[in-house]
Amino acid sequence: MSRWLLVLVVALLSGCAGMSKVGPGEVTVRDSLSVTLDGAWNQYSIGLTRKSEVWTLDGLPLDRLVFHVGIADGEALAELPQRKDRQVPKYQTTMQAHEIVEMYEVFATHDGSSFQRQKLAPAPFAGGDGFRFEFTRVRKSDELEMRGVGYGTVRGGKLYLVIFEAPRSHYYARNVGRFEAVVSSVRIRG
Amino acid sequence: MLRRQFLTGCACCGLLGRSSTLLAATPGPLPARLERPEPGSDEGGLWSLLSREEERLKRSRFLLRDGALNAYVARLACRLAGDHCPDIRVYIVRSPFFNASMAPNGMLQVWTGLLLRMENEAQLAAVLGHEIGHYVGRHSLEQLRDAKSRTALGQFLGMALGAAGVGAAGSLAQLALLAGMFAYSREHEREADRIGQELIATAGYPPIEAAKVWQQLVAEVKAEAEWSGDAGSRSIFFASHPDPEERSQAMANRAATMNGDGGDPASAAYAGQIRGHRRQWLDDELRRRKAGETITLLERLLRQSDDGETRFFLGEAFRLRAADGDAARALREYAAAEPRSDCPPEMYRSRGMLQRQAGDTAAASASFQRYLSLRPDADDAEMIRSYLQEGI
Amino acid sequence: MSRCRCWLWLCFVVFLSLPVRAASLAEGFTRLPEGAVVLLMPLDIELFSVSAGGILEPQAEWTERAHANLRQAFLTRSSALKVNFMPLPGEGDEVEVVESLNRLHGAVGQAIAMHHRGLFALPTKEGRLDWSLGEEAALMRARTGADYALFAFVRDSYASSERVAMMVVGALLGFGLSGGMQVGYASLVDLASGRVLWFNTLLRQSGDLRELEKARESCDALLDKFPE
Repeated sequence: MSRWLLVLVVALLSGCAGMSKVGPGEVTVRDSLSVTLDGAWNQYSIGLTRKSEVWTLDGLPLDRLVFHVGIADGEALAELPQRKDRQVPKYQTTMQAHEIVEMYEVFATHDGSSFQRQKLAPAPFAGGDGFRFEFTRVRKSDELEMRGVGYGTVRGGKLYLVIFEAPRSHYYARNVGRFEAVVSSVRIRG
Repeated sequence: MLRRQFLTGCACCGLLGRSSTLLAATPGPLPARLERPEPGSDEGGLWSLLSREEERLKRSRFLLRDGALNAYVARLACRLAGDHCPDIRVYIVRSPFFNASMAPNGMLQVWTGLLLRMENEAQLAAVLGHEIGHYVGRHSLEQLRDAKSRTALGQFLGMALGAAGVGAAGSLAQLALLAGMFAYSREHEREADRIGQELIATAGYPPIEAAKVWQQLVAEVKAEAEWSGDAGSRSIFFASHPDPEERSQAMANRAATMNGDGGDPASAAYAGQIRGHRRQWLDDELRRRKAGETITLLERLLRQSDDGETRFFLGEAFRLRAADGDAARALREYAAAEPRSDCPPEMYRSRGMLQRQAGDTAAASASFQRYLSLRPDADDAEMIRSYLQEGI
Repeated sequence: MSRCRCWLWLCFVVFLSLPVRAASLAEGFTRLPEGAVVLLMPLDIELFSVSAGGILEPQAEWTERAHANLRQAFLTRSSALKVNFMPLPGEGDEVEVVESLNRLHGAVGQAIAMHHRGLFALPTKEGRLDWSLGEEAALMRARTGADYALFAFVRDSYASSERVAMMVVGALLGFGLSGGMQVGYASLVDLASGRVLWFNTLLRQSGDLRELEKARESCDALLDKFPE
């Protein structure tokens, strides 16, 4: 009986590819952002949501580039299903850069990981004013030390965040240059 | 990956195959030291797994290695454990939840969320005493044998294996401990409460402090239920432990027959030991976004000690909760923090942000300038300067 | 296909999509040189038994034996190229470096297991085994003198086929793998460059690490097509 189930499940899933190639060239992210890529990335297609996308170069357990696109007033960056509504921070249009990073920290630590902001400064992003932050994080599941960098801006009352995180050892340095190139090409459509 | 993250209270372990008749009636000297089980036995498997977990824990990035604090907690556990002292090893783990646990092999974990919530040495002693009570009371792990017919636990372990099977170094035993895999029956919990309270009374602490630990927790849980609707009812703790109010009441009653509130709870000693660590623990606490619990906790800590740091963090809790009127509440706390000697410079930054949001540009500028003068090398100095420039 | 949220679901699917046994070589690498010294990194092994009701019990004796057996099997493996496995030298400051490298390898191993082939293959890798542990690997080389390192990860349990069926159903409902499976991978790393030269995944319902001779079989399975 178990064999049949296995076959069935594999058959169901073979229709969807887990990862898709994006780029090189101009790519649209969640219908709201356009980026111009020098090289290809891998998009985690099964994990797409209405307002977020995850890309990777070496694999999800290693490096991740996350787009949060057009987050509106009162919306959360992601779902935290074990929490009650009031225990999930929501974006408010009155938020300043500091508070947006504080909000991001909650999502980055909800699994017990630690988080330390290393830098926060204004930076151009998506063709306008924005901010850039750096952080380190020890991942709870495997205690791997991670390094991260993020950019954010608010346009038309909506929040746009792009964050890259990878192991401090080898992978961050290897891939962050490509992330910065992606970021410099980000434009908000419409 | 773990569905049940919120755990209020302890997940405790004991040894298999031994009944708990020894301490049924008479309090008295603790029993003789326990022997390591045979590797082939039921508990041998568990013991060996836990030994490996202990090796991992020793290398964990979440272990707090501060010598002074570890020595203090270990000394306290040692005093309470008497002859069992050499068999018990204390580990302080950085995690914002209220938790302490004792493994069958003598590995005692205390989480920083718990240390943050203790008002004095007596209360910490009560928690340690309770854990030691499970260990020396030789409470049986019949639960594990019983559990062989309980699918729920099997599914949980299956989930844990699935998690482990993907290659995460994450420890099975830690997961199991977290979820109360070694949870005792309520009878055992009551007995551990009794032993713990007797141990602290013998050690010269006011036995009423044990009851206060649970009273304090109850207050936090109630406040959180009111604020967010989260009654913590899905936590394993409530399934396997007696109701905290009941425990608190039982311990208060027992305390009345003992020394009551006589003895020194050693508040100052405790405060001195955790002073250097509280900021980080309070930052971790704020990140949990359980405003009901956090604000109740901070208001209680404030009643104990009206210092700048506590005032600041209470202000932060209001600022982050951001309900109606919270900005004003936060500003009041910052104002109270300012004249106090240990007010963190970050207060000025937070105050500036709230003032800026309220449109009070001049005041915001002054606050931000103050912050920059106190923290000229702050990682966010550039950002603050840009806020100042915008204000012009 | 609707969004898949549960990470466990993902992991289950990953393992379904794993071929039962698949070894891969990095580009430009075919065999170890004669007489190569391969450092045996601390093996990550846990063995469980699964009772009728489905409880997984950690089995210390089995696990300790499995550690010893697998280690023995690795160290005494006869090899055409006279490749020698070298045990990790005793404690010392290596512990930090080993820990750190092990942690990173854990994540790299997961990435390869998930993304090298099958449902979650990374298009940009174009089927190549192209992963590295980076600069930290050279530290191990400096400390031990070994040119290569072997990492192995094994989770093994012993149960009936009814248990396996339950496992599949449980996984569909969102619970992870359990029971009656041998899951593992092994990887060979060039310590000078940090490159993963060879990677083998193992997912099967048989295998036994509890007796030395049978452990040799598991060792052989883990080292299937090992480039010696």
